[in-house]
Amino acid sequence: MKTTMKRMTTTVLALGMMSGSLGAAELRFTIWTGNEAHLKMLNGFAESFKAKHPDVTVKYETIPPGDYTQKLTFQLAGGNAPDAGWLMEDAAPTFAAAGVLDNLAPALNKAQGYDFADFSKPALGLWTAGDKVYGVPFSTSPFVIFYNKDLFDKAGLEDPNALAAKGQWNMAKFQEVSKKLKDATGKWGFEFKDGQGYDTRIMHALMPPIRAAGGDVWANKQCGFDKPEAVAAVKQLHDMVFKDKSIVPPGEQGDYFSGGSAMTINQISRASLMPKAGFKWGIAPLPTGAGGESPVIGQAGIVVFSAGKQKELAAEFVAHMTTKDNVAAAAQFFPPARKSVLDSDAFTKSNNLIPPEQMKVVADAISKGKVLPAHEKSPQILAAMKPRVDALWRANADVEASLKAVCTAIQPLL
Amino acid sequence: MAGALPIRDTARREDAPWLTLKMREAMESWLFISPTLAGFLIFFVGPLIAVVWYSLTEWNLLTQQATFVGLDNYSDALFRNPDFWHVIRNSVIFAIGLVPLNMALALSLALALSGRFAGVVIFRTVFFAPVVTSAVAWAIVWKFLLQGEAGFINQMLASIGIDGPNWLREPNWAMAAVIVTRVIKMVGLNMILYIAALQAIPRDYAAAARLEGASGWQIFRWIIWPLLGPTTLVIMVITTIGSFKVFDHIYQMTGGGPENGTLVLAFYIYQQGFQFFDVGYASALAMIMFVVVMMLTIFQLVLRRRDT
Repeated sequence: MKTTMKRMTTTVLALGMMSGSLGAAELRFTIWTGNEAHLKMLNGFAESFKAKHPDVTVKYETIPPGDYTQKLTFQLAGGNAPDAGWLMEDAAPTFAAAGVLDNLAPALNKAQGYDFADFSKPALGLWTAGDKVYGVPFSTSPFVIFYNKDLFDKAGLEDPNALAAKGQWNMAKFQEVSKKLKDATGKWGFEFKDGQGYDTRIMHALMPPIRAAGGDVWANKQCGFDKPEAVAAVKQLHDMVFKDKSIVPPGEQGDYFSGGSAMTINQISRASLMPKAGFKWGIAPLPTGAGGESPVIGQAGIVVFSAGKQKELAAEFVAHMTTKDNVAAAAQFFPPARKSVLDSDAFTKSNNLIPPEQMKVVADAISKGKVLPAHEKSPQILAAMKPRVDALWRANADVEASLKAVCTAIQPLL
Repeated sequence: MAGALPIRDTARREDAPWLTLKMREAMESWLFISPTLAGFLIFFVGPLIAVVWYSLTEWNLLTQQATFVGLDNYSDALFRNPDFWHVIRNSVIFAIGLVPLNMALALSLALALSGRFAGVVIFRTVFFAPVVTSAVAWAIVWKFLLQGEAGFINQMLASIGIDGPNWLREPNWAMAAVIVTRVIKMVGLNMILYIAALQAIPRDYAAAARLEGASGWQIFRWIIWPLLGPTTLVIMVITTIGSFKVFDHIYQMTGGGPENGTLVLAFYIYQQGFQFFDVGYASALAMIMFVVVMMLTIFQLVLRRRDT
């Protein structure tokens, strides 16, 4: 009731101000977090923006992540475009190609002391085209291995960080360790990201081993799933699922966060779940393969929508949110793409759940990593892949033939 | 009411002498139904017409570019898109599996629970409860029960020496699993309809037949079943329509997989419209679904009329 009253009052005030001659404005900014700590930080950015624009307020609007791209699209289509907002990596090429994102380059160049060159080049790949900047990455979060130290101890095994320090943390070792964990503890050795590796997280499951083997899912409009490196990598995973029975198989549950699996792959934002997990844990780099180290990064950016009515002001706010100071302030939640922040001690000490030496793993991965593949037709590609990948995840599947079928299905879309 | 009042058909109000009583009454009734009518026009007729129009365009929601393409979307779906016929096939299999199973089960339950005995209300509630259960919770629980090796169902089967399949990961089993779990969820609704119909049949009929020496089966076959006819028709029509429109259940349980084995029409429309943002194509598919469901309904009505 109170909030309704407040909202009504704000609306009435806002309407009154709009009709008046004052230059007051409200920016509408869409996000997918409802986390209080995140909102507090974001509201802090809005507050400090008032130093230059005392009469501008920012209204953050939370849309749940699962529906985010869809709801945003409908807002744009319905003529109700927000001024600015977050955007997920897989939506970035589609949105940029559709011409719904505004070029931020002029505003970023104009901002004092902004230093755009400070952003790591690989991290900008999805968000720039020539001189144009369609978004500023605010979260550049590499995938890391989360491991259950208690289960490693129980199985009498060295943990991934110890193995990495000796230069032995590779895919062969990963397979060996997973099997030993399963045999010794009865728990699964490894679980794909959020247990969704066979469904919504197909890419997150296949991508890291394929890149570790020196392949890629696609490059230069050519499908890479059927190349020898990719086939070898996927065969190994297939063996782990069906021969070793060390990876949680399709249709089973083995949640890492409640102790069902000894290892999983995820981003550091998931560390927030760990205090409740009730076991000793750590994060380690992804295992290396024939292709050497090949960290994989998930990204999200901040964009301004062309259909918004206050594009210049919104672009100025985006520049404000991504200054060195503000990126450093956000780094505890969202790993930065600014080199100056990445290299700083402040970053490695920023997360109170993860010890500095393990945060170094994150910083290393960001500077060396490659972002997840994204494409203008991502949704169609994923939908075309899905049934062929389903066929792959059967005990008696012909891995090579299934991967060929994946390529046949997606090549026309690439 | 009119009798109690003086006849005023020619009476005209002084402030509006041009209005006859008849016109005034007509205006009043229109005013009374106007809220419903407005809602019906805006939220039902409007979108229906819009869908017809959208289906004739190629409209990308994101770029906001719409081009008129005539019947291209329809001909593409019907003649050029192999997925479409696969999807129709799945929808038909789903309906053929679901409708008879649902109706047979609903009727059996209703026959068992239409009488008055101790605890009958509890049994009815138990069978009706899934209808009001959240579809999401239902799907999550069943996904747990239907897990490959660790699932409850397969562990039960294993205890009697049967090696159960990985239910939701093999196309044919997945279809069977979504049909059965859907039937269990929705059967309570049809059961209630049948119980109501059974209770409306006068007991004298059965009593009279029994006196004449009719067996239980004969009473059911020649008295109860024909009298349930209208209810059976209604149930068949709504269950068929419901089975073609099934979306949430598929979305939660299998996402159309595995290997597109449970990709049904409503889910396919959702994919085209809300994942690929191809609104024109999705609208054309929705029109096709509309026609298919309407034809099925008419067919069932005709069949019924010929029966009686």
